[in-house]
Amino acid sequence: MNSFLRKNIVMLVAVLIMAAFLIAAAQGMEKQDFVITLLRGLAVGSITFLVASGFSLIFGLLDVLNLAHGTLFMIGAYLGWTVVVRPDTFVDMLTPLALIVSGFALGDVYPLLASRIRLGLSMRRILPWGMILVSILLFGFILPRYPIAIWDVGNYGQSPVTFAFMADSGARLPVQPAAFTEISAPLAVIGLLLASILGAFGISLFDNTPRTVRLSWKNFVSIAVALVVALVGLIFNDQLSAFFYCLNSNWLFFIAVLVATLSGVALGGLMEATLIRPLYSRPIYQLMLTLGMSAIGIEMVRAIWGRPEFVMPKPAFFNGGGEACPATNFADWWTNHCSTILLFEGRVRVYNEIFIPLVGLVVLISIWILLQRTRLGMIIRAGVQDSQMVEALGINVRRVFTMVFALGVGLAALGGVLGAPSTGLSNVMGESLLLNALIALAIGGLTSYPGAALGSVIVGMIQQFIIKYGQIGIVIPFTDIIFKPTPPLVPASTVLLMVIVLLILPNGLLGKKE
Amino acid sequence: MKTFFNSNRGAFITLLLLILLPFIIGLFDGASPATVFVNGSGQSKFIQGLAIEIFILAIYAISFDLIFGITGMLSFGHSLFYGVGAYTTGIAMKSFGLPLLPTFGLVLVAAVVQAILFALVLPRVKGITFALVTLGLGSVFHILVMSSEFGPYTGADVGLQGVITPAFISPANERLRFYFVMLAVMVLVYLVYQRFVTSPTGRVCVAIRENEGRARMLGYNTFYFKFVALLLSSFTAALAGFFHTLYQPIVSPNVAGMGFTVTALLIVLIGGVGTLNGAFVGALIYRLLDYGLRRYIGESASFINGAIYVLFVLFVPYGIVGTWRLKSLQMKQGWERLLGCLVDK
Repeated sequence: MNSFLRKNIVMLVAVLIMAAFLIAAAQGMEKQDFVITLLRGLAVGSITFLVASGFSLIFGLLDVLNLAHGTLFMIGAYLGWTVVVRPDTFVDMLTPLALIVSGFALGDVYPLLASRIRLGLSMRRILPWGMILVSILLFGFILPRYPIAIWDVGNYGQSPVTFAFMADSGARLPVQPAAFTEISAPLAVIGLLLASILGAFGISLFDNTPRTVRLSWKNFVSIAVALVVALVGLIFNDQLSAFFYCLNSNWLFFIAVLVATLSGVALGGLMEATLIRPLYSRPIYQLMLTLGMSAIGIEMVRAIWGRPEFVMPKPAFFNGGGEACPATNFADWWTNHCSTILLFEGRVRVYNEIFIPLVGLVVLISIWILLQRTRLGMIIRAGVQDSQMVEALGINVRRVFTMVFALGVGLAALGGVLGAPSTGLSNVMGESLLLNALIALAIGGLTSYPGAALGSVIVGMIQQFIIKYGQIGIVIPFTDIIFKPTPPLVPASTVLLMVIVLLILPNGLLGKKE
Repeated sequence: MKTFFNSNRGAFITLLLLILLPFIIGLFDGASPATVFVNGSGQSKFIQGLAIEIFILAIYAISFDLIFGITGMLSFGHSLFYGVGAYTTGIAMKSFGLPLLPTFGLVLVAAVVQAILFALVLPRVKGITFALVTLGLGSVFHILVMSSEFGPYTGADVGLQGVITPAFISPANERLRFYFVMLAVMVLVYLVYQRFVTSPTGRVCVAIRENEGRARMLGYNTFYFKFVALLLSSFTAALAGFFHTLYQPIVSPNVAGMGFTVTALLIVLIGGVGTLNGAFVGALIYRLLDYGLRRYIGESASFINGAIYVLFVLFVPYGIVGTWRLKSLQMKQGWERLLGCLVDK
């Protein structure tokens, strides 16, 4: 008992302070306000946690401070929005994406082919560059001509804002399906496939390390899957679009979550393998690289989806209305799917304040199980402690690095798409969330997984309670002055808390001493 | 004396060019040196303005290079130093009507105060945690500047407007004088920094960057040296902020934000981390690029900025000056070979 106390003293003190803070906060407001604010704090904390946990896993294992994490969170939200509001764009994107990937799916075939080609030294130097150049030229020629039904940022009637508004009110704008006009379909498909194979071949030629390569069935299965997806997307384009448009909004939302998370995973893996990996010997440069990536990502989002903010419709499961709403208990809610529910006489929005914290909890537990109960988790935990030692034991740490980076970015993208229906989409959502996540991690301990959860909840709670007290005001004891915290105090308070915590405990609340 | 001149030939030629720059540009534009001297409007005046901005940026970037490149402390709150300098000047002159010199004194006091603020944090946290704490301190200042409570003083999110610069260096009417004052300040700052880095104190700072534990083992109180570097850096950045307020008609709250620290990082990276001269080269390239991109490409300029940033990190990690220093012997030999070929044949 005594040793337990001594080991967890910081955690216990933190929990006690939190409890005292909550009790103090409860004194000044009505019961229903308190419940709503508590739930809101949990919701903000959950979204922050999804970003912070990925960030902390990446920092712990790879020692990379991924400052592009907020931008990737934002990209996840925008991708999810596209699937929900414009499924036809999503279907149109399938074919070219699958074709671009297909060349890279044949990874192990190229070294075999290359070993068959006998060339002079100068030709061997020129060949990869030539292939990549041809590939880029082909991509540059075909991709702008490839028909993709998309919105028009410049035209208000066709802008994402209008599409979002119409979709939110239940109606859909009629969309023009794009057709092959400037280029014939077979030519485009063959050209893209050729460009992709040439590009992948050219890149693989740079890698001169001699090794034995055995062809495995995985290569052929992956290229077959990519080609089938591409062809299905091409041939049944209209039917697929129509199918997605008729689909129940719950399923559409589910697909959006899947697509956004998987794109996050793919983006993360790609980013680690191409950009971060060459820089492990220069940590400061990795940090600067991610800063640059963040700027690029924001600009791309601005170019594609435009600057104005817009909304994402909630799935129908959480968006019911009518006579029976707001629901009074959960059984009642289950039959009507009301958007709000009465808890302690306060109206609570089901999606924002109950569903999101639940998802946060599920993710918290599943990642915890992954870390504690699986082989991969064991490698990750060992790698956080000493990655060189793990490598010396014969484990391919680089592959685990890529997987963890992909996992972290996937979690951020999941957070983005889940948060989008409640907070809306804007260009700056990534930056503000990244600051929140950084503060949460600094409070909880940079490389500590439970610390990420604790810090996120603390940050979410403090922000929401201060916002609430900004509306009702705090009576300062022994005086009649009513103090109303203004909006700028919300970020300032958490930042100050971070500075104080770091000054007392430089490793955060749950971080281990080095 | 002669060897001194010879060894610093590049610096003297650059200085001479910078002194003559307004007049040369004027000649291109068809304005005689006399016209330029009385601040006639024209291309020369515009270029002077751009040059003044570059000088201010360079002074700010060199102060970041001192603590990041020389002493090895990564601070994400560096824009706090600049922002405090800029806002102290603006508020003192506008709201309290102080003349120039007392304002300058106040800026120096503010610089000491903020250096002490950072120094309080210094012994407790290192590395990434130091970066986070400084980020926190910087954002608190940014938030305070943006908040509406201080609106009458700081202008909230619109920015601080209506600071009247004394007539004798007014950027509108006496721009040439402002240009030379800025040039003199920049040269002075560079000389002080060069002296500092080559002094024993500066050597210890470099040692701290390389291996702090070892420096401490050798008996140096590393805190003291870090504090001196912070103090000098804080002074310089606040000085840059002071001139920013005098020159710009409006002090935007962005100068206190995280983005402006990233600007310093970018400039130092382009020029070369830890090279001092790099800050000037970087500021020149950064400002011209930013100006050119915004003019010809418009909104998506920061996309290209980000791409350049990534390309520099991947392919020119030592920056322009750093790469130049690494390769200068090879380049010299290459030139000689090339010239030899031309002359012989």
